[in-house]
Amino acid sequence: MIKFDEVTKRFALGNTAVEKVSFTIDDNEFVFLVGPSGAGKTTILKLILREYLPTSGSILINDLDISSKNFHDTVMLRRSIGVVFQDFKILPDKDVFENVALSLNVVGTQRLEVKKQVKNALELVSLSKKEHVFPAQLSAGELQRVAIARAIIGDRTLLLADEPTGNLDPKTSWEIMKIFKKLEGKRTIIVATHNTDIVNSMQKRVLVMKDGLLAKDNRKGGYEL
Amino acid sequence: MKNVLISLRRTPYQTLSAFLVLFFSLFLSVALFVSLSFLYGILGYIETRPQVTVYFQTKTSEADIFKTRDELNQSGKVLSIKYISKDEAFEIYKNLNKNNPLLLEMVSADILPPSLEIFAKKPIYLPEIAEYLKKQPSVDEVQFQKDIVDRLLTLTSILRKVTLVFFTFLILMSVVVLTTTTMFKIALKKDEIELLRLLGATNFYIRKPFIFESIFLGFSASVLSFSILAGLLFYISPFLSSYLRGTPALSLNLDFYQLAVWPLNPIFLGVTLALSLLFGMGIAAIASFFATQKYLRESI
Repeated sequence: MIKFDEVTKRFALGNTAVEKVSFTIDDNEFVFLVGPSGAGKTTILKLILREYLPTSGSILINDLDISSKNFHDTVMLRRSIGVVFQDFKILPDKDVFENVALSLNVVGTQRLEVKKQVKNALELVSLSKKEHVFPAQLSAGELQRVAIARAIIGDRTLLLADEPTGNLDPKTSWEIMKIFKKLEGKRTIIVATHNTDIVNSMQKRVLVMKDGLLAKDNRKGGYEL
Repeated sequence: MKNVLISLRRTPYQTLSAFLVLFFSLFLSVALFVSLSFLYGILGYIETRPQVTVYFQTKTSEADIFKTRDELNQSGKVLSIKYISKDEAFEIYKNLNKNNPLLLEMVSADILPPSLEIFAKKPIYLPEIAEYLKKQPSVDEVQFQKDIVDRLLTLTSILRKVTLVFFTFLILMSVVVLTTTTMFKIALKKDEIELLRLLGATNFYIRKPFIFESIFLGFSASVLSFSILAGLLFYISPFLSSYLRGTPALSLNLDFYQLAVWPLNPIFLGVTLALSLLFGMGIAAIASFFATQKYLRESI
């Protein structure tokens, strides 16, 4: 369970990214985090990943206060989170297999197990035939799928996706969302997006952010810009 | 190993500069170690030769000579003293001139002086012992290898100081160059490191490839510098043999072990290689550790 309690994040120059945001997300829940650019969606994901620490308020993940300066288990926290980054963060000098395997290598998974799990993940995102292809030879949609495969592999119980359909055409965007749909109920999924069509079609819980504030928490789904 | 080689190949200039610095540092260090070992070996050998020979006046009684010998023994600076009586001196004389009957006829035991052959515990005691003997009224002449020992002592002392200064300089230079090279490589892999941290990699996981890479460079540079030096030693060994003719063996007297230096032997070469590897891989590991530590401390 993820619990935000009156969380505020202000940056050094004084601009406020999120202010007094409170919400709770249950285990294995699928949630859309929506809002226009600059609304604070990415900041919320970075706060969960402990890339940022809140200026005030608390963030609990499975009853552990990860916002505390005394929290020293960032490595273990991050090992439980799979992230699809807005800019993909795919390493150009590693092929598809190596990029996906990184997620397992950092936790010390045995080589044979890595091979097996990477193959399964690539199959799930329909990239089995491009195992040894380098990123430069992939399309934006394929790169996004590599990022998803890397995020869902292993025992990561929480999946964060930051604008996973950001620069993709509608057809590819839907293919990406189908992958998330396959994972529904198996792990907690938080997708930050401003794609209203997808959010409205999926009919999942929607947290609407506006100017750093949580404007709406719509449990029945649906959203308008 | 495969990843290490790939990474080295992708940064050829940094790899070459780091390798060359390590190689020259190690080559000089190993060469200095071998030179010092030889010098200490020669010094040790000279210490086994009679270092001070004192000739007494022919009329001196054995009791007086033994009194001087006992006083020297009690000083704690003498390793051993051998007494050569007039008769023994005459025997030695006869042996030396057995092919010259004329010389044998002219000399009798009475005119040869009795003497003491003294071995000091340390060469630095020699001048003191010689001075003491010169003051004895019954002493006719004192001979000791002052010049050779002094020169050797000065040479080893200079070489030891030069080695210390060189070692310090070489270590510093190697660490700085390797640290800079590693930091440059870290900068090139900044995105990858950031991603690894977000995926939950430990500091050790991030640091490992850089340290392995440096250790590999240290290992290669050590082996190459040792191989070249060993080759040089074998090449000049005939000249050394001729120069050291008559010297049975040279060894380095460590407190816990007597390391044979000459003739060249596998143990001495093995120790030299081990020191070279330890030094090379050690400084490489330390340098990369510093570089990664600095980066990891500064990042999130």
